[in-house]
Amino acid sequence: MDMQTVSKYEAMVKLDLPESERIWIAEKVSMLEDSFSKLSKVDTEGVEPLISVVTHDYSLREDIPVKLVSRDEILSNSPEQFDGYFLVPKTIE
Amino acid sequence: MDREFFVSKHDAKAENAFALDDNIMVRGGLTTAGSKMLHNFISPLQATVVDRLLAAGMELAGKTKLDEFAVPGISEGTCDILSGAVGAVAEGVCKVALCNDVSGKVRRQAPQNGLYYIHPTYGSVSRFGLIPAVSSMDQIGIVCKNIDDGFDTLGMIAGHDENDITTFPEKSYAYAPKEGKFRIGIPSNVLEEADEKSKELIYDFAGKHDAEETELKYFEVFSQVMYILSSAEIGNNTSRYDGVKFGYRADKFTGLNNLYTKTRTEGFGPDMKLLSVVGAYVLSKDNYEACYLKSMKIRRLIREHANELFSRFDAIILPIKLKDPDPYKNLALYAFATLCGLPSVSVPLGRNEGIQLVAQAKNENSLFGICKGGR
Repeated sequence: MDMQTVSKYEAMVKLDLPESERIWIAEKVSMLEDSFSKLSKVDTEGVEPLISVVTHDYSLREDIPVKLVSRDEILSNSPEQFDGYFLVPKTIE
Repeated sequence: MDREFFVSKHDAKAENAFALDDNIMVRGGLTTAGSKMLHNFISPLQATVVDRLLAAGMELAGKTKLDEFAVPGISEGTCDILSGAVGAVAEGVCKVALCNDVSGKVRRQAPQNGLYYIHPTYGSVSRFGLIPAVSSMDQIGIVCKNIDDGFDTLGMIAGHDENDITTFPEKSYAYAPKEGKFRIGIPSNVLEEADEKSKELIYDFAGKHDAEETELKYFEVFSQVMYILSSAEIGNNTSRYDGVKFGYRADKFTGLNNLYTKTRTEGFGPDMKLLSVVGAYVLSKDNYEACYLKSMKIRRLIREHANELFSRFDAIILPIKLKDPDPYKNLALYAFATLCGLPSVSVPLGRNEGIQLVAQAKNENSLFGICKGGR
């Protein structure tokens, strides 16, 4: 994979890698791409994808509100909060 | 000495103590998941496994070090760092340690340090309070020196949890070694890639039972399927780390988008960045069908093949490492249990060596019986 393509995928996952890391990732992804090409040898015609190995019916609990965590506890982990809200940089000029 | 395996350590009597990898939450305590991204995260919740062990009278010895988010790392040197959970039990600081071994690192390192690792059936142990990595494969397992202690502990933590919808309806399980002679399948195509010592151990061990050679189909693409599905799920699970709601935030930024990008670039380590990029690659329009969808279809073929194998065998025996030390290729050895949600036990044998046994879902008692020597 070339560096430009790595940059495209980096941007999708909100990363901006320094050059040395981008080179390393480009090498690893190229190796992985070669390896992934082996998948085409497996005949999967008519096979349904397996999303989860869970085979039982999901059991839902009673629909009764349960307070697991308070708002203050959640906000206390935030780098910046104000008046009960998460604080982010200004997005509208 | 033991402190190098721990992120935090408490006073506890070793014979009654458990340790937790630092991606399992204890209310009010720090849970970093081994990542700068969560360097200051205080758990607002407590994992169900912690509640259950404390209720059973066990004591918390501390939180152990792990690879970032316990993801399948293929960067140079990652696999050589000793897992904190393995180190803590090997040092005798605690009786058991709990961790989420998606990558298989603990399944290799536990036997190499004279320990067992019990990887339970997916759905038997609640993941509530575990920092998610690969949701369709995450499963809390147990490192132990003594197999009876391991299954005692599994009996304490296994059972339905209304906070984890993937848990089976059974409220609890009775773990006891099944007796008798066991039918063990030796996959010869896997052994072709193992070293001579591993082969010798496998034939010696399986020879005490009704052993028969077989084939583990699709083994040649296990690593690929494992890595593709892991990267896609990890990419989704770690999109929440944005510097807004919790965890690390970059110091300097210019606007919201730059805050996200700088925070994630500075907060994640090399394997997380690689997996995030690969996750975007396999889920992209150009590669979705050939990579992600194809892997999910092969996962079904592997699961169906497992059902066929377990109609003939009580367990499949596997080495814990390949001749080739490449961590990516070695993922294949642990993928069978992980991709199919099957129980496995890694068993220490000889000096720094071991084997793995994999059984049908909910068939832990056969593995327990084999470990105890059968009859």
